[in-house]
Amino acid sequence: MARIRFNNVEKKYANGFHAVQNLTLDIQDKEFLVLLGPSGCGKSTTLNMIAGLEDVSGGALLFDDELVNYTPPHKRDVAMVFQSYALYPHKSVFDNIAFGLQMRKVDRAEIDKRVREAAEKLEITHLLDRRPSQLSGGQRQRVALGRAMVREPSVFLMDEPLSNLDAALRISMRAEIKELHQSMQTTFVYVTHDQAEALTLADRIVVMKDGVVKQVGTPDDIYERPENTFVASFLGSPPINYIDGTLKFAGGGAQFLHEALALDLPEAITAKLSGQDGRKVRLGIRAEDVDEAAAGGPGATIHGKVNSVLPVGSDQFLGFDFYGNELFFRVGKDLAHKVGDDVSLSVDLNRLHLFDKDSGASLLW
Amino acid sequence: MTDTVNIQPGRSRLRAAFGYEERSAMIFLAPVMLVLMLVAVFPILYSLYLSFFRIKLTRPNRTPFVWLDNYTDLFGNELFWTSVARTVVFSVVSVSAIAVIALLVSLLLNQDFRFRRVLSTIILVPWAIPYVANALMWKWIYDSGYGALNGLLFQLDFISRYMVFLGDQNKTIYLIANAFVWKEVPLATILLLVSLKAIPSDLYAAARVDGATVWSRFVHVTLPAMKPGFLLVMIYETMMAIRHFDLFFILTEGGPGDASHVLSWHIYVETFRNLSFGSGAAMSYVLALVTFALSYIFIRTLGRRV
Repeated sequence: MARIRFNNVEKKYANGFHAVQNLTLDIQDKEFLVLLGPSGCGKSTTLNMIAGLEDVSGGALLFDDELVNYTPPHKRDVAMVFQSYALYPHKSVFDNIAFGLQMRKVDRAEIDKRVREAAEKLEITHLLDRRPSQLSGGQRQRVALGRAMVREPSVFLMDEPLSNLDAALRISMRAEIKELHQSMQTTFVYVTHDQAEALTLADRIVVMKDGVVKQVGTPDDIYERPENTFVASFLGSPPINYIDGTLKFAGGGAQFLHEALALDLPEAITAKLSGQDGRKVRLGIRAEDVDEAAAGGPGATIHGKVNSVLPVGSDQFLGFDFYGNELFFRVGKDLAHKVGDDVSLSVDLNRLHLFDKDSGASLLW
Repeated sequence: MTDTVNIQPGRSRLRAAFGYEERSAMIFLAPVMLVLMLVAVFPILYSLYLSFFRIKLTRPNRTPFVWLDNYTDLFGNELFWTSVARTVVFSVVSVSAIAVIALLVSLLLNQDFRFRRVLSTIILVPWAIPYVANALMWKWIYDSGYGALNGLLFQLDFISRYMVFLGDQNKTIYLIANAFVWKEVPLATILLLVSLKAIPSDLYAAARVDGATVWSRFVHVTLPAMKPGFLLVMIYETMMAIRHFDLFFILTEGGPGDASHVLSWHIYVETFRNLSFGSGAAMSYVLALVTFALSYIFIRTLGRRV
């Protein structure tokens, strides 16, 4: 049982670097929470504060209802998996997994039982006598997971655990980690800079930038309803396209206007924009929200010249020159385009995003 | 007629054995190798050759070949065994002191504190002092008439009159060991500090989460990681201690009596005072073989899991 709460938590370093600013976050018991952001955004610092490896400079960090600001790591009932795995190089796999239990003076027979159970679950029983240097990256990863599992902690922390694995292994380990979370029934806090990992694993995602939380929500919230341009750009591949323009109300509806583009905004969006006539906005179109086939009429079409064609196997990315903006769209691979072609794409109007041009805050969510 | 294939047996065999790069390397290395042969390999072999003769410079014309007599005589010589015992005491005391002090200093220098860099530099000073200069400095410190140690102890009221430190049979070898340790600790510290710095900080974080106390972290993370550094320090310092000569030459000349009559001093006396080159060479060979054997034992025991 562990619910973790950050109440206005601050982290400042002696050199003045403000790593985490006024963080308020409520992590539910048994939740899988992912901290997502670019490097230096404060996500690892946040994780280390939960672990007790970093001091909290201000605010309150609570486990259930207990203040743990000054509780050392070994009294917090947390286990952690490190990006480097941090296996003890001179100890066997067995002793690596058993170390946390040995330090807690768990009885020998019990240690043996738990280590073997974990090893079996992770399919590393045959490796128990080896040393970390004799293992592959994937095997080390499993040992690191095993070391955390045997502790049966109430909070399971992971700091980019998959980033040192090759791409194929990373995807299969993702599935295993998700399974592990289901079987262990504990709170997981997972740090990554990989949006795909975050979207597949998380119950909720916290997107951070420069020590500040930019949005907290389910993967669906984060991807479909980004609250600002940072979150919108950070997720999606290729990233979302932006076009700056103005809102114009006419008759019953609203329009997004740019010197070469006029899009009729649908009812659902217009309803959220009352009183915004003439506002300078930034339009966001996700790369996949266009279609070449069905022409959507003049109020739903964007014209441009193809700059580059990047096939990616299942489909292709079109680099698209639109009035000085380089836009990227994902289209079916059967569409044969050459660089220099003039192309018209119909835009899925219901999936448009609108942000304030200056602040970057969403006008819709 | 195989007129199209021109076989040159000698050349092609050389070519088959060594590729172009190997052959070029040999050519470029040849000059250095030649110099090394002259200044290192030749003296080593020549002294081995000399050790089979009875050579006394006082009888330059009679140098009979005596086969292994120089070696067998050696093991019957009581002073030789005394010198071996003195060398063992000196080496064991110095090397253990160096290892312990260097460990503590390297742990200190691995911490972050205000004047760490300045202190690191200062600690290196003894290393930069030549052996002879170091010996002269300690001769002055230990001096019975105007020595700094006497002055210090006297002013602190620990002694009521100036002492002849190096004249005390029971203390001499430890005082010399002290001077040796002072000179050797910096290098040993650096060697250990390198292995300390190579420990990833994640290991300490993992151990903290695993519930390890400061002491457990030291035992389970720090010490095992320092093993290669320790191995190096033990081998190097043992070799230095066994062979050490300068301090004995300058401070005591083996005295008082035979209190600091170590093996290297014994060899010096035999060779350059008794002018007995044959038996001196034989002893040098024994010393070299012992040093070699010790290093081998260290590597086999400490180095097994490094």
